[in-house]
Amino acid sequence: MDLPENPANAGQQGTQNAFKVVDCDVHPYVKEGISSVFPYMPDAWKQRFLRKRATVGAEARSLKYLHPNGAVNREDARPPCGGVSGSDPHFLVQDLLVKNKIEHAVLNCLQTGALCSTLAGTDESIVLCSAFNDYLIDQWLPVDNRLKFAMSVPSQDPQASAAEIRRLGKHSQIVAVSLPLINILMGNRYWWPIYEAAQEMQLPILVHVTGPDSIFQGPPMSAGGIPDSYVERYVTLSQAGESSVNSLVFSGVFEKFPGLKVIFVEYGFLWLLPLLWRMDRTWRQLRHEVPWVKKSPVEYVHKHIRFSTQPIDEPEDPKDLDTLIGLMGYDQLCFSTDYPHWDNDMPGQSLRGLPKAERQKIFWDNALTTFRMR
Amino acid sequence: MAEKKQHTVGKTADFPVGKFKIIEIGGREIGIAQLKNGEFRAVRNVCPHKGAPVCKGPIGGTALPSAVGELIYGRDGEILACPWHGFEFDLLTGDELIRSGKPTKLLMFPVAVANGNVLVTV
Repeated sequence: MDLPENPANAGQQGTQNAFKVVDCDVHPYVKEGISSVFPYMPDAWKQRFLRKRATVGAEARSLKYLHPNGAVNREDARPPCGGVSGSDPHFLVQDLLVKNKIEHAVLNCLQTGALCSTLAGTDESIVLCSAFNDYLIDQWLPVDNRLKFAMSVPSQDPQASAAEIRRLGKHSQIVAVSLPLINILMGNRYWWPIYEAAQEMQLPILVHVTGPDSIFQGPPMSAGGIPDSYVERYVTLSQAGESSVNSLVFSGVFEKFPGLKVIFVEYGFLWLLPLLWRMDRTWRQLRHEVPWVKKSPVEYVHKHIRFSTQPIDEPEDPKDLDTLIGLMGYDQLCFSTDYPHWDNDMPGQSLRGLPKAERQKIFWDNALTTFRMR
Repeated sequence: MAEKKQHTVGKTADFPVGKFKIIEIGGREIGIAQLKNGEFRAVRNVCPHKGAPVCKGPIGGTALPSAVGELIYGRDGEILACPWHGFEFDLLTGDELIRSGKPTKLLMFPVAVANGNVLVTV
């Protein structure tokens, strides 16, 4: 645990960071779900969703994976005007950005992600994805220039995804492509049209669990079987990140798309050290099986892949965390809060044991060279 | 460090059982609640884990340690759950529920009741 030496000295959020911050994981919530985005889709599709009574959107979790405390969203982050936490952009700017001195916040809509990865059919997902993207561009981005956007793509159709990237990708506040993963490893050629379009637009690919992961067939699953509770599932969600890093490197994605960057958001990061040690040794032993992998996997990962910090693991002695991050190197991590979710990390309370210059890299510099910030 | 003072924060009836009312004393947010046993608690509204407004979390009971497959509800009205990361605190002692004696302890201020007034020493 990241313990303050004296609890009485623990500051509240926002009181301790004296440096600029990019938050690379913020979740906007579209208030009325699908019915909010009706104006952004053709009438025939609106009629279809109305007739299905699919106005809010399907539930991304079954009973056993409901949050044990009742909500993934923080109750104390509800806007004063009512509604779900994260649903009012004006309040979000005050409650998150102003309080915590955040200069850029990367919005990633998980409602779109869940519909695209799993909950909607392929054709439905293409229409809904564009409608949610357009809604957020129209209703959220003009509120404050600090709000940046990881636009979603309908990942059940790679060609449609590439078209969506080219349709919207030039918007000045769009800084990444949020790719809702389905259960195909990220190095697979299925994804390559999306990487091609992202590289063309100089946008990194951002991946994040979308909600139905390890619950329904469609998104990535936890290794070895179905978890039995929220706790079990939560702990295993990083596994898809590990598999994807491995797959991206050995399938040669970064040789094929040398300008591509990928950021793994909310998958954790401490697992990277042993993964890279194993990947490097195995590559030295057996590289002739994948001769397009011309450099050590460590080099590809350092050049092309970044990881968000939240949820930061908490060893008994906080110094052990600092040691492990030192072993990883300070160029791999980008700070994230995950606002307004329950397991958030706030800047003033995070990674306080690291030297100032290294914190600056993690809270600011690394994000500026990862996202397409203009 | 400023000298400690006793502050009158309201009448006992102003503080419903099982819910924190958050007030400010000397620039500090402090949650004041009455427990089911009639005792009062004044808790700094800062979670010792990561600074969350801990007094905005629910006061309730919890599932006690039990055998595999068994569920025993207990300690009703004595447990505070942080609204962010969900850590549970024992409002009788201030300790984090399953790690007593560790520094992740709620900062609690002495409370007295006199003539129907609630007095907090900060």
